[in-house]
Amino acid sequence: MLTYIIRRIILAIPILLGVAIISFLLVYLAPGDPLAQFRVPNVRPEVLDRLAEIYGFNKPLPEQFIGWITNYVQVWNPDAWGLSITYRRPVLELIAERTPATLLLMGTSLALTVVIAVPLGMLAAVKQYSWADKIVTTFATIGYAMPSFVLGTFLLYIGAIWFRVFPFGGMTSSLRVESNPLDIAWHLALPVASLAIQSIAGWSRYIRASMLEVLHQDYIRTAKAKGLSANRVNFRHALRNALIPVVTLFGLSLPALIAGAVITETIFSWPGLGSFGVTAIGQRDYPVIMAFVLLGGIAVVIGNLVADILYGVVDPRIKY
Amino acid sequence: MTTVSRSVGPLLEIQGLKTHFFTQDGTVRAVDGVSFQIGHAKTLGVVGESGCGKSITSLSVMRLIERPGKIVEGSIKLNGEDLLDKSDEEMRDIRGDQVSMIFQEPMTSLNPVFTCGEQISEAVQQHTAASRREGMDRAVEMLSLVGIPDAKRRAREYPHQLSGGMRQRVMIAMALSTDPDLLIADEPTTALDVTIQAQILELMRDLREKNRMAIMLITHDLGVVAEMVDEVVVMYAGKVVERGDVRTIFGNPHHPYTQGLLHSIPRLDERVDRLEVIKGTVPSPYNLPTGCLFKRRCPFRMPICDVAPPMRQIGEEHTSRCWLTPAGEAPEVGADPTPEEAEAAGEQLTVEPR
Repeated sequence: MLTYIIRRIILAIPILLGVAIISFLLVYLAPGDPLAQFRVPNVRPEVLDRLAEIYGFNKPLPEQFIGWITNYVQVWNPDAWGLSITYRRPVLELIAERTPATLLLMGTSLALTVVIAVPLGMLAAVKQYSWADKIVTTFATIGYAMPSFVLGTFLLYIGAIWFRVFPFGGMTSSLRVESNPLDIAWHLALPVASLAIQSIAGWSRYIRASMLEVLHQDYIRTAKAKGLSANRVNFRHALRNALIPVVTLFGLSLPALIAGAVITETIFSWPGLGSFGVTAIGQRDYPVIMAFVLLGGIAVVIGNLVADILYGVVDPRIKY
Repeated sequence: MTTVSRSVGPLLEIQGLKTHFFTQDGTVRAVDGVSFQIGHAKTLGVVGESGCGKSITSLSVMRLIERPGKIVEGSIKLNGEDLLDKSDEEMRDIRGDQVSMIFQEPMTSLNPVFTCGEQISEAVQQHTAASRREGMDRAVEMLSLVGIPDAKRRAREYPHQLSGGMRQRVMIAMALSTDPDLLIADEPTTALDVTIQAQILELMRDLREKNRMAIMLITHDLGVVAEMVDEVVVMYAGKVVERGDVRTIFGNPHHPYTQGLLHSIPRLDERVDRLEVIKGTVPSPYNLPTGCLFKRRCPFRMPICDVAPPMRQIGEEHTSRCWLTPAGEAPEVGADPTPEEAEAAGEQLTVEPR
């Protein structure tokens, strides 16, 4: 198992390097440049040249890349990921500041999704074509079809304007007050609901399908023939097997845990990585964009690795 | 269960069982008026082609018929008590305890995420007061009883670590762990290769003696039947077409379908170029012929076959659903079925001369 994990980590290096090259080129080829905001009539061309010199924008592309990547791996150094052009502060520091908010938001919504979607999916499968199944299916279809910006705005409208129960956005009521868990939970409610409704919709469909497939397996008939109760058959024999493919879904959800939900965070002005990344793209803040993209890449690689390891845990047929 | 009901009457008595499937395309009468009985510690073979209703009959006994299927009529008496009157809860206590079942596909009939020991232990714990530990001990004991070497280690292994034959042994161990009165074996050897088949049959014969249990053996393999059973029930399109003890059925088959089945077995002591086949196919369940269900494929077809034949006495303990005389000859020309027979057939007598 350990050698397997080490091998996977070593294999991840070329993948991440590829991600780095592609994202570097994408950002480079994108229209607009980081000095555009200074390119106004009262800034002299010499100043612009000087800025390009300082930030290294005038060097050949491969050189820029190599310089960037060698700095990048030195994560113990606060300056390793460069300075944000907008904030003029180290990118690593900015990211570290915003990570907890994103982890909190995404972690809560993922936990809520698992807790709600698994029973819902099971119910829909065990009572296939019943009213319960139809209600779950209807809800799931609506939730799945609704884009997050519509759902988010809708929830904001109902929660904050119509009923005036929830705040408009942000993570705390006052910037000065030390974060109080209840206050944070109050701010968390709407964005979590917005994220969870969508993922519950997807997950419950997936679990329903997986469960239905398992319920038609021969070993379920064997379990029934042993005289086990319906609950024991469904929860012990069927669910264990139905959750094996769900592990994939879990692995795919992990990158979002780190990269954040860009749209939802923006709607609810949640001070997380997602909204940070989007703002950076708008401002052509190259160092932040690169960090954001690369972090996403790392998260995908880690998510896949975690999913593969979990397979080995939940399915005795898989050994590493 | 009282000792009285044990000593009197058969262990299992199925009477007029009808299990139908209500599909969008119409009703499929998968089992349509099946009656037979199994005595204590006897082995009954249920024979027939795929789709003749043998598996549905056995699942009906277990009350494991799922929608759109439904047992619509009849009675299934185990030790004199009708299983169809039992509540779901009472039925669960019977399933896996008094009646156990093993299935055709050992490769897929065990749950892949639990060890073999756990799965056997679960059956024991369900029906006795055994603790987890005692259940596991019983599992190891059962595994060695069914001839699995190194049972202690095997009990901790998962099904995928075992071969098909081994898995079927695990299934048998699981089914027998609660000392059932009746074992329903639905094609237990079909998925196995012949040497393993022989071993599994040998094992079942052995355990039958040891545990004094009755077996309902469902198979389409007449070789297996000849080796294993006391009595044979031949099914065709949801109905029993012939019933008798194994010697009679093999030595003196009456129903043309049974004869066809027996003729289509290759024999070691004869050289033939082609095996005989029963011409045609099983009629579609949505489009059954009127009268005798076998008439379209029958070499002895007579005008009277347009009337459904009842089960008729052929000899002692030998019945057949065919109009042929006990000697196997066509009934006298113009001979009508007796009024009782006609009533049993439940059809108007409209025999057209051809």
